[in-house]
Amino acid sequence: MIEPIALDDPARQGNAKLVVERLAKSFGTGAGAIEALAPIDLFVAKGDFLCVVGPSGCGKTTLLNIVAGFERPTAGRVLLDDQPISAPGAERGVVFQQGALFNWMSVVENVAFGPRAQGVPAPKAREQAMALLDLVGLSGFAAKYPYQLSGGMQQRVGIARALANEPEILLMDEPFAALDQQTRELLQEEIRNIWRRTGKTILWITHSIEEALFLATHVVVMTARPGRTKAAFRSRFSENLDPLVAATPEFTLAKRQIVQLLRLESQAAQALEARV
Amino acid sequence: MMARLDVAALEDTIDETALERRANRRDRWLTFVTFAGMLALWTAATGSGLWAPLIKPIFLPSPFTVFETFLRLIDQGYQGRSLAHHVLVSFNRFAIAFSVSVLIGVPLGLLMGMSRPFRAVFEPPIQAIRPIPKLALLPLFLIWFGIGNLSKVVVIAAPVLPLIAIASMQAVRSISNKKIQAAQALGASPWVIFLRVVLPASLPGIFTGIRMAISIGVTMLVGAELTATSDGIAWMALTAAEYLSTDIVLVGVLIMAALGYGLDRAVRAVEGRLVHWSGKD
Repeated sequence: MIEPIALDDPARQGNAKLVVERLAKSFGTGAGAIEALAPIDLFVAKGDFLCVVGPSGCGKTTLLNIVAGFERPTAGRVLLDDQPISAPGAERGVVFQQGALFNWMSVVENVAFGPRAQGVPAPKAREQAMALLDLVGLSGFAAKYPYQLSGGMQQRVGIARALANEPEILLMDEPFAALDQQTRELLQEEIRNIWRRTGKTILWITHSIEEALFLATHVVVMTARPGRTKAAFRSRFSENLDPLVAATPEFTLAKRQIVQLLRLESQAAQALEARV
Repeated sequence: MMARLDVAALEDTIDETALERRANRRDRWLTFVTFAGMLALWTAATGSGLWAPLIKPIFLPSPFTVFETFLRLIDQGYQGRSLAHHVLVSFNRFAIAFSVSVLIGVPLGLLMGMSRPFRAVFEPPIQAIRPIPKLALLPLFLIWFGIGNLSKVVVIAAPVLPLIAIASMQAVRSISNKKIQAAQALGASPWVIFLRVVLPASLPGIFTGIRMAISIGVTMLVGAELTATSDGIAWMALTAAEYLSTDIVLVGVLIMAALGYGLDRAVRAVEGRLVHWSGKD
């Protein structure tokens, strides 16, 4: 159910949404410089749900921060719809792990923030926000404040807020990592449904192989620091509508394949830590 | 399924508020007992006409005497001016100094928090001035600003303004980077980010700074009325001490305590309304 692919497969080139070219990032200069991201290439076609999996500290968050425009790369470039990007923009919706909601605004105001910042009149923005809250199952909580909601509900608000600008691509940085397992599984199913319904292109960062296999159409495995792509797979598990697909032997087999790859990487990362 | 789980969570919250309310009631009761105990101790130690005072009235008059003095001062005033006049003069000095400090200190602190060049220009001099005891500068302020109200206002504002500025700067600098990034990714302009993210997110820290500044400001009021004045509530207490009128001193002290306490409560009330999310991150 997973098959290795070349990310730069020419057959896919015509449909590019997001292209990452020879992107590298180091912190500091000279002998003390730390290479966070080795030159890395990514190719995300329109409508792809691409998960980047890697050991902790491999630079996957750095990668996402550069694509979001929060950080500048040391080398290489990022193209969205063939346009190079250099700063944050409303056409890239970002969902954070936690703590990025505005506690001084109600839930509906949080979601309407993007459209309002884009100059959408308040009543219209509110209407859009209410529709999105309905999509994430929170219509009854519009007037609440984020700190009054559970962690899972807060992440739903974050997703609705990122969708509100109708972005070309959603960038998600381990959005469910801080949630308990039941909530996480529920939200994974929901984000799959949202992806199917909206057809959005998604770039998803995670350290969880199960999550990647369950959600993604494409899985990219990164190496230990400095991060580069180790392997890429086409995954079919996300096409399976059975929420228990993770319990099938095929899923386990695919997971083993990737675990094996990542184990080598984690060991390399630990060896690197030990040396530092 | 999610909805059911959340109803359960809400019920938990209700239970917790009930418990919290009970604990609050108990705390208020304990506080009341503490104050009642202190008053009883004061009454007993000074005899209060019931028995011979353990402490001479010249050192500590009884609470009844202090209250009588308070009523007499309301009736007859102090040194030719009414008690209300003395209170208002002091309040006026404090209010002007404090308003100016907030109006300058908060924007200054916000700018220092947001802009590195701005911080590089303003923070080192402010930090260098802060350890200087401002009361030591009073003679200088009297020479520079005269013996009128201006020198009093300046000596009160001298520690209050830097404190508010630094607290506001820290408030901005402690905003989670993620919140700013989230706003940027939602396409907000720098101005919108300032108005709708930086400003509200730093409000709790600004309020903390303002409340700390109130107690410093009231302390400085006493310093401001040390010399070169013939009215004010601190001046009343200071001159009464020269004649060993301990009862008048205590009336002055209690009025100043009430002023500080009242202002703190007022700011807390505004804070409670304005920053309901404080500490909930």
